[in-house]
Amino acid sequence: MSFSSPFAASTAKAGHGSIKLSILPPDTPVLRDVSYQYPLKLVAPDPLPPSEDKSNGHAPRLVHTVFLLTYGGGIVAGDAIDLSVSLEDRTRLVLLTQGSTKIFKTPDPSLVSRQHMEVTLAAGAALVYLPDPVQPFAQTAFSQSQIYHIDGEKSSLCACDWVTSGRSARGENWDIHEYKSRNEVWASDKSGKKRLLLRDNLILDKHGRTGMQLAERMDGYSVFGTLILRGPAFSSLAQYFMVEFEALPRIGGRDWGDSAPLELLPHEQRRVQRQIREKRDGLVWSAANVRGFVLVKFASREVEGSRNFLRDMIANEGSVATSFGERALLCLK
Amino acid sequence: MTTPDSQQSLQDEIADLERRLQDAKARLNAVDSPTTSLQTTSDVALHALLLLADSALPLGSFAFSSGLESYLAHHKPSPPSASQLPSFHVFLRLSLSTLASTALPYVLAGYRNPADIETLDNDFDASTPCTVARRASIAQGRALLTVWERSYKSQYSSTATEISGDDSSPTQGSAAAEALISFSSALRKSDLINAHLAPLWGLVTCVLDVPLRDAAYLFLFSHARTVVSAAVRASVMGPYQAQAELASTELQDRIRGLIEEGWNRKVEDAGQSVPVMDLWVGRHEKLYSRIFNS
Repeated sequence: MSFSSPFAASTAKAGHGSIKLSILPPDTPVLRDVSYQYPLKLVAPDPLPPSEDKSNGHAPRLVHTVFLLTYGGGIVAGDAIDLSVSLEDRTRLVLLTQGSTKIFKTPDPSLVSRQHMEVTLAAGAALVYLPDPVQPFAQTAFSQSQIYHIDGEKSSLCACDWVTSGRSARGENWDIHEYKSRNEVWASDKSGKKRLLLRDNLILDKHGRTGMQLAERMDGYSVFGTLILRGPAFSSLAQYFMVEFEALPRIGGRDWGDSAPLELLPHEQRRVQRQIREKRDGLVWSAANVRGFVLVKFASREVEGSRNFLRDMIANEGSVATSFGERALLCLK
Repeated sequence: MTTPDSQQSLQDEIADLERRLQDAKARLNAVDSPTTSLQTTSDVALHALLLLADSALPLGSFAFSSGLESYLAHHKPSPPSASQLPSFHVFLRLSLSTLASTALPYVLAGYRNPADIETLDNDFDASTPCTVARRASIAQGRALLTVWERSYKSQYSSTATEISGDDSSPTQGSAAAEALISFSSALRKSDLINAHLAPLWGLVTCVLDVPLRDAAYLFLFSHARTVVSAAVRASVMGPYQAQAELASTELQDRIRGLIEEGWNRKVEDAGQSVPVMDLWVGRHEKLYSRIFNS
């Protein structure tokens, strides 16, 4: 995976792509390489300066954004996409999509479409990966993996992985052959030995001896997702998720009407409004602080419920928009 | 990459089949010579299986409902007087399916590759994203390790050396015993080690010379028993019905089928097959009232 020239589209294999973000001395982050092959397409709009305080010595001068696209707006049976991303120290990248990643019908269940992404984050680098959800249509087989290699406690990661039940307007409800999504975070110790820090692996297929259709196994939910947070750039967001999870009303508890304070603080008002919306959207979520990560799991009846939840949480907390720009939340609008 | 693994599993299967063949032959010969050494071997395995299957085995499993309590709170029957039994049946199926897809590969790997126990323990921890499930798995894993240390160790590590004494190469059992001893001493020194139940279950059953298939069967069955007994305490069913659930051929077929499906699944491919399970288990902490730890 070495590239002799930073200018040539040096990957010749179909579906391969590469993004490299480096620092041009003294302190200007530049996209040293953005190359791709059909059916993958990468679009890099002009980088923007973050709105956060310039006196903060850690803030880079520019934040880059790259859109992951596919020709035809989706992944056709048998497609294989293989993207490698590498971020140097003091660089920040926002990875987005334009609309949900559609997975098209396969003629043969054993013909699996694949998408693989390998991300290397130097200490001090930060990635926001907040794409639209994957939308596998009926009779599809898809397998994706997102593998992150981090360097110690200083690499920052905010990655969301969510999937929907298909085209609900056409009555599709998890009518897929197979869907797999794997998220892994690895670290290396000084001797170069790799250690698995996190593995989040979702496997939806016909196995499991449940005697139930996939739709039934999903308990009426149309969207499932995981948000992975780690590192200094997202510690405040991670903390926010934990606090809000603690503040969720107890399941099966009763409101006796004697505990409501008369005047709510602004953040409490936002919380109450969000919780009302969660209830209406049939959204459930949980957050856990494990092994240096905050891991958020969520599910909702419709796509919009999860989108509302993620946007409300990330926008209300505010640090992502400040450090990475409003554009980072584009897929949640 | 796949070849050594599938070779390994084939070898395991052959070893298992050979053992069964010998076992069957032994039983055939039992009339003539009731005290052959082979007969003793199968008795040893049976004895160990009985020890591990004992509901008095102090793993503290009674404290956990594996998400049943949270699931029932998320699925209130209407009217409230309606039976929760149909709900329970759905949950038991999903729960076994989840356990087979997430934990069973680690049981098999702990048995087959005793030397990898620390890596397996780390990777299982990395793959358990939910605090509640993690706590339950570690509590039971540590309890199993304690039972081994206090009750089985003196007995089984000596037997293992005895058997290997005839052989020039150490047997699988004695290698496993060594791995277990060094793991439990490493646990006291390192805070990176957790002692999760699944890989340790594989390792301990290997040391105790229980055939792998039986060890896997008992792992899934014990889980079913834990969930069923939680259902009794949550007033979903009575004790006789609970026994009927456990005795049912449906459960037997399901466990057998899950082992069949998962026999060659690698630990890297372990994963969640019922995503809503993570939410039920993870939201157990948010219940207004609780009688279980998970």
